[in-house]
This record gives sequence, structure tokens and C-alpha cells, in this order.
Amino acid sequence: MNKDTTQAELIFQSIHLIQKLRHDVGQVFKDLSDGISEYIEEPAEKDENDGGSNKDVSKDKAATQDQKDTTGPSHEKSEEHHEKHRAILKTLKKSLETISHDFSDLEKTGANIGPVQMFSNIDNLSLDPVDKNTVTHSQLLQSYKWTNKMHELSDQAVTILGQNTLKRTQSPKFTNVKKLKGNTLSAWVAPQQTVDQCLSVLNQDHPGSNFTWSRPLGGCAALQIEIGKTLKAVVVLRGLTIEWVKIKGFDETFKTDDGQIDIWSSSRYQVFQKLTHHAEAASLHYYAPTKPDLAIKSFVMWLHGFSNLFSVPCQKCGKYLQNNMPPTWRDYRNRKPFHDVCRM
Amino acid sequence: MGVSCVYMYPVPEGRSGAHVVEVLQKQVETIGGVKMGSFVVDCESYLSIMLSVSKTLQILHNTEYPASCFAVLDSGATLVADTLFNGLLSHLKAYYQARKGSKIESKGNRYQLADFVIKIGSVTLSGSFKGILVEVEYCPSVIASECWNLMKELLQSLIGNIAESPPPSLKMKMDEIYTPAMTMLQYLEHFNNFRKAAAVSQPPR
Ligand SMILES: [Zn+2]
Repeated sequence: MNKDTTQAELIFQSIHLIQKLRHDVGQVFKDLSDGISEYIEEPAEKDENDGGSNKDVSKDKAATQDQKDTTGPSHEKSEEHHEKHRAILKTLKKSLETISHDFSDLEKTGANIGPVQMFSNIDNLSLDPVDKNTVTHSQLLQSYKWTNKMHELSDQAVTILGQNTLKRTQSPKFTNVKKLKGNTLSAWVAPQQTVDQCLSVLNQDHPGSNFTWSRPLGGCAALQIEIGKTLKAVVVLRGLTIEWVKIKGFDETFKTDDGQIDIWSSSRYQVFQKLTHHAEAASLHYYAPTKPDLAIKSFVMWLHGFSNLFSVPCQKCGKYLQNNMPPTWRDYRNRKPFHDVCRM
Repeated sequence: MGVSCVYMYPVPEGRSGAHVVEVLQKQVETIGGVKMGSFVVDCESYLSIMLSVSKTLQILHNTEYPASCFAVLDSGATLVADTLFNGLLSHLKAYYQARKGSKIESKGNRYQLADFVIKIGSVTLSGSFKGILVEVEYCPSVIASECWNLMKELLQSLIGNIAESPPPSLKMKMDEIYTPAMTMLQYLEHFNNFRKAAAVSQPPR
């Protein structure tokens, strides 16, 4: 801040000095033209008739002519001329001295001014008169400020996230690379047989549910779970890691009109939209890269807790409805039902 | 599509039906219901004329299922057909004829409340007001036994103890997958009751 103000002062001083310098130089030229013309007015006219091309030469000529002319008629006049000449030279010298003084002053101040930080070409843009009427420059400045702010905030976010141990992102910046070398990667690149086997076992463990899975794009399995006659869920697996969850009603479908699997569209019912949010949170809660089979097993078990979605009251308030919604939350440990607002 | 329960809401002595409907509508709006259009459920009786024992065929329509036509026999056997069935019926004049003055309908506002749809209908039999029917549908569920307690909670906050137990025609099918025909059977049951009551109070001259 302080540095900025002194910089500004210096720049202001320099401008002032430049103005003074220009004024001084201007004065010198004015003196020069005034001073000589005063004495050689008449001969100059003669010179013009001669058609003198060079002014300096003509001045010299004029001076010599002057001297020739003045020698005869009066000696007093030539004395006066000499005195005036001297006076002119004196002021000229003085002016030149001031100029050289001011110039060295300017040089000194200029040396103190630090280099002005150029952001980029947008500063030149601001000087472009064509763009004066457009808002491009101010908008660019604004977005520059925003990006700066974003950088700052993301730096803070990295610091905070760095302290968190629950990470899914595979980046050396977030995760310890040495740790990743272990079982973690196998959770993502589990062979299809392993996945199939794991899902078959899950299907047997949950008799009330129906598991079907397909691989529409080859690698990732899109698992569909029907829980009783209550809900349908689609779970996209990368290896054995849960990547995506959607929950819909029993009378809704995960198929598009042309028979493709549709993992994107949401349920038209509020209760299943809410359940989808909770299931997404649960898929993160049960994330265990070193034991992927256990993670998906726990998740499916938790999801299975919704088989009684419409038929059990909330454990806390004892009611079936709260905000016209059934208990849409199941505890992670004991799968007890709670309303969204009754969670502890 | 979900589970529906239809109840008759009595109009107390000395009160007009319109007034009671208004009170019910206010109540639905108070608990957060948002009006989403209106609805009509209508029913007309057709009598067989060829058979020695006359049999009735009930034809019902519901604006909730605008492309369907419901035909119900005395046994309760229900046919769900396209609305083209109406045209077919006019060709069956030799076998079935519409009973005069049997046209009954429930008509009113439709409200949305979270995943519930609430319909408050005024019942008119050949033009005159007969009573009020309240329908509550819980759309996400398809099994009545699963969501009955949950629906009961909402129903009782709206119409009180009338909704103490599930509608009689639904009681046998609580564990089945709910179909729109089940709603129509409930309406038909109420319509038949209204018709009977009308026949008793106004014996044929
Ligand atoms: Zn609760």
C-alpha cells in the first residue's frame, strides 16, 4: 500500500518534471526565435529576397551584413547590439542550464520508479480508442479478479481436503502414491469374473431382492436391484467400486424408449429422489478401497433396509409421515428408520 | 400410479354439500396441498335385455386415466379397455341398453401434496347432489398393505375416523400389486350405495 503511494508520487513528480522540461525547452526556442529576429528584422527581409535556403546561413549572413552596415553610420548602435547579444546568450545559457538541471532531476526520479507491473495485453486493450465504447476491458478485469479469488479459495480447499483421509480422487496431490500401490487399484480393475461372483453371492444373500446386471459399455457393470415391490435401484460399478446410484419407484423403469439402460433420469416421486441423495451419501460412507467386496456388501445391505420404506414408523418420532414423507433415512450401523429431519 | 383409498365423507344435517366441500378444500390447502387441475369419475349402468335374468354392466371413466374405459360386471370382473370401447357399446344396443337416469359422477378439485394426490369430489346422480367422496392416492407405492398405515395417518388428519380401516373392496387385495381398476371398483361401490340410498328415499312412483 505504502509502496504504491510512493510510486504514484514519484510518477506524479516525473510528470511534473517532464512538463517543466517541455516548458523550458519551449522557452529556449521561443527566446532564440524572438531574440534574433528582433535584430535582424530588416536584413532578414532582404535575405528573403536573396532566396536564402538555410536559416542559419542567412542569419550569419545577416550578422555580417549587419556589422558591415552598422560600422558606417553609428558606432553606438553596434555597442547596443553587442550588449543585447550578450544578454541573449546569457539567458540562453541560463535556460540551457535549467534544462540540463531539470533533465538530471527527471533522470534521478525516473530511476527510482520501479517497473510497472504489466498484467498482460489487456492493459493495451484499455488504451485502444476503438474499444472505449465496449465493455470488454472492464469485463476482462472483472473475470481476472474472479479467477484470482478462485485460485485463492481452491488453494484453501486443497489445504483442508489434504487433511481429510477419506479420498476417492486418484491424484498424487491428494493421495499418498505409496498407499495407492496396494490393493486400491484392484478395486477399480477387478476382473469381470470377480465382479460376477461377488454379485451372485449378494443375490443369494438377499432373497427378497432381485439382482440383474449388464455391461452396456463393456467394462463397467450396471447393476439393477429390485427390493421387494418397494423400489428399484441402478448401481454403476467400476470394478467393484460404486460410481453411480439412482433409485426409482417399483412402477418406474430404468430403460429408455429404445430399450437402452437409462442411468441418468430421476424418479418422478419425491421420496425416491430423496432416497437417491441418501444412497449417494451411503456409497461414499461405505467406500473402502482396500476391501471393495465388503464395501459393496455393506452398501447393498444398507439399501436392503429400505424394503420396509412405507411400512415402518420413524424410530424417533414414532410417526409414519413427516413433511408428508415416510422415514427416508436408514442408520448406517443398525439400519433403523428415521425421517430426514429426525436423524441424530 | 399408486395406491388409492376412496371414502364417503358425510354431510352433516343442516349443512350444504358445497360448504362442506369448501371446508375440506381449505383443509387440504392448509396442510400444504397445491391445486393441480380438476377430475371427474363417471359411471353409467347398462342392462342386458336378451337374458332371462337381467345383468348389469357398469361403464366407468376416470380423467386420471383419460385413454381408458372400465367395464365392470356384477361379479366384479373388470375389463380395462381403450376409450374406443364406448363406440363398440353403441353397436351392442341389441344386447345392452343404458339404464335411464343411472349416470352418476364424482367431480371436483385435484390436489398434489408431496407424493400424495388428494381428490375431493361432489357426487351428482342425474344432476342432483348426493354426497362427497374423498380419494387419497399415495403414488410411490404399489402394495396397499405396505403403505396403509402411512396413508391412514394422512387420511385421519383430513377426514378423521372414517378412515379407520382400508376400504372394504380393497381389503381382499392388500398384498396385490395395485391397479387403476381397484380404484374404479371403490368408486363403483360408493356409486352403488348412493344409487340405493336414492332409490329408498325416492321410491318409484
Ligand atoms: Zn421422525
